Amino acid sequence: MLIRPEREDFRIVGFALGRIFTVVAAASCLPLVWAVLGREWHPFASFLLMIGVFAFLGQLGLRYRPANERLDWSHGMVVVALTWLVVPAIGSIPFIFSGHYGGPVDAAFDAMSGLSTTGLALVQDLDHMAPSLNFWRHLLHFLGGQGIIIAALVLFAGGGGLTLYYGEARDDRILPSVRSTARFIWAVALVHLVAGVVVLGVIAHQVLGFEWKRAFFHGLMIFFAGFDTGGFAPQSTSLGYYHSAIFEFATMVIMVAGAMSFGLHYALWRGPRRSLFKNLETRMILATVAGTMLLTMIGLGVAGIYTSVPGLTRQGFFQVMSAHTGTGFATVPSTELATWGGLAFAGIVVAMALGGMASSTAGGIKALRVGLIVKSVVAQTKQLLLPEGAVVSTQYFQSGRKRLTPELAQSAMTIALLYVALFLLGAGVALGYGYGFQEAIFESVSAGASVGLSVGVTEPAMPMLMKLTYMFQMWAGRLEFVAVFALLGFIYAWVRGK
Amino acid sequence: MTRHLRLGRRAWAVLLPVITVLMFLLSGTPLASAGQVVPVSDLLVDGERFAGSEITIEGELVGDYGFRHDGHMWTQLNDDSYARDALVDGGPRAGANVGVGIRMPTALGEGLAPVGGYRLEGPLVQATGVWRYHDPDRGGESYLDVSALTTIEGGRRLEEGPDWAVFAAGSLLLAVSFVMWWRRRRSAAAA
Repeated sequence: MLIRPEREDFRIVGFALGRIFTVVAAASCLPLVWAVLGREWHPFASFLLMIGVFAFLGQLGLRYRPANERLDWSHGMVVVALTWLVVPAIGSIPFIFSGHYGGPVDAAFDAMSGLSTTGLALVQDLDHMAPSLNFWRHLLHFLGGQGIIIAALVLFAGGGGLTLYYGEARDDRILPSVRSTARFIWAVALVHLVAGVVVLGVIAHQVLGFEWKRAFFHGLMIFFAGFDTGGFAPQSTSLGYYHSAIFEFATMVIMVAGAMSFGLHYALWRGPRRSLFKNLETRMILATVAGTMLLTMIGLGVAGIYTSVPGLTRQGFFQVMSAHTGTGFATVPSTELATWGGLAFAGIVVAMALGGMASSTAGGIKALRVGLIVKSVVAQTKQLLLPEGAVVSTQYFQSGRKRLTPELAQSAMTIALLYVALFLLGAGVALGYGYGFQEAIFESVSAGASVGLSVGVTEPAMPMLMKLTYMFQMWAGRLEFVAVFALLGFIYAWVRGK
Repeated sequence: MTRHLRLGRRAWAVLLPVITVLMFLLSGTPLASAGQVVPVSDLLVDGERFAGSEITIEGELVGDYGFRHDGHMWTQLNDDSYARDALVDGGPRAGANVGVGIRMPTALGEGLAPVGGYRLEGPLVQATGVWRYHDPDRGGESYLDVSALTTIEGGRRLEEGPDWAVFAAGSLLLAVSFVMWWRRRRSAAAA
């Protein structure tokens, strides 16, 4: 029997949401300060409104303190799913008033794309956009990639942190407590932020010849989008704008750092480093990067798209890394990417679908799950070949030797299948509107796996249903389904429960 | 008294066929490739068609001027409706920007008006040069290697004032939030 949520349940959820909105309101002051410094008074007013709405909702939630603040599993998941719906909706206010979007849905699309670190965009005339608005677009990547909930966990003590942590699609606790893990994640991000912005800024000034101020503006934007595997860029031509192999290489290093799990970061910082290459996830991601790279290179070579080896290598390598890390930066225009057929298309799509490492900012099925599925299939094949009654015990190494239980294999398989279903959903809608098979699949995988590479389907003139479908894909894909199902279950129980 | 030049029938009989033949010849003559203004969208859709040929593109310079140590300056040329009619200036929304990278000798880039960006319309230029498509010497990049640059219109500053209604709504909400926080804090202290 379904139990209808009680008033206390709503209070618990509302109180947790109130805390999170207060944190987001505080974070939203950064673009406001940027607008003041740049004397950008039009965006300033819209940032003020956005902060006002976040602050008001925050205070509204905190007004009704529940008797017990501790979140149970379902409360936590509902809070996460709602946070990831409401924050983009309110976060789109500055976009709506900027005039750069066709309407509230387009603005919310970009806010969802920013927060979910996807990078697909419906912005118009980006090249004339106010720097403070551009900063807000990229800050959304940073907030979404590092985790709004994680930020709230760092600032507020309180029960139920673990459920919020898992709800945001993070499944390894690096340190004994969730709060210390959350602090570590933000520490990693801030150290990378300083190093990344300095490196990119210096390259932009010394090599590309930009003015210092603009060089660091580009460095900051590209860092946010690269480290959080987002894919927004400050100019309309994405990474192709810079025409520099050195800048692309530096960006690629940042993208790889972003696609690494925070557990791996911890091991790299504190050691032991030798065991890193024994990890199933590390081995699997190296194998899939090599495989998809090979597919793409062969495909590009056969199609004769690039006539020189340096051209094929640089463009192919960057696009595959961008796809596999889930970043979505491109050095070629979408019209050109659309011509990558055959094996090159397959290589990029598979790379996008597989994604980065678990507990990183990347999306997609994730290397650890792929590794577990492969191990499980091998074990089942062995079982079939052995005499009846023989028991095959499978182990894997991931920060220590672990046993691959049937439940774990089933869970990995279920999530992978849900991703496939999500990709098919988006592709089906696009096919229904008459888009070609290749472009429908490409764009859908890009949205569902939070990548952001585009073959030109995502544009302001695309049908409304497709915009909404891609938004759903970005939301469900980023949260890896569990929190989404919990929210749907909560709503169903509220309507039909007793 | 005004005198009108009147052509007789015989004169028309000679002139008309001459004009007709001239018009036909002119329409059939291919334009010199360097003078041919190619839309940037054509370069993006089918860049291979123009590979290695000298072409002219027209549009607004946006983003940054990157003066490099090799004696070249890089920037982006946008050929979209915003190049002449920016959104901030009340121009219509017409989709994403349409632009390509251009490279020119530093001397050509010096003295240009500030590049286009927020509240700034960059110079509207006509750039002539060789379209380098998947240039093997630059790792497969595509760009226009400019040899001649003509400024059609200098850049200009645009105005964008605050939206007072939005400002007032935001301020009101913040004030209400502050009062709610203050009352909550006071009641917590009293308890």
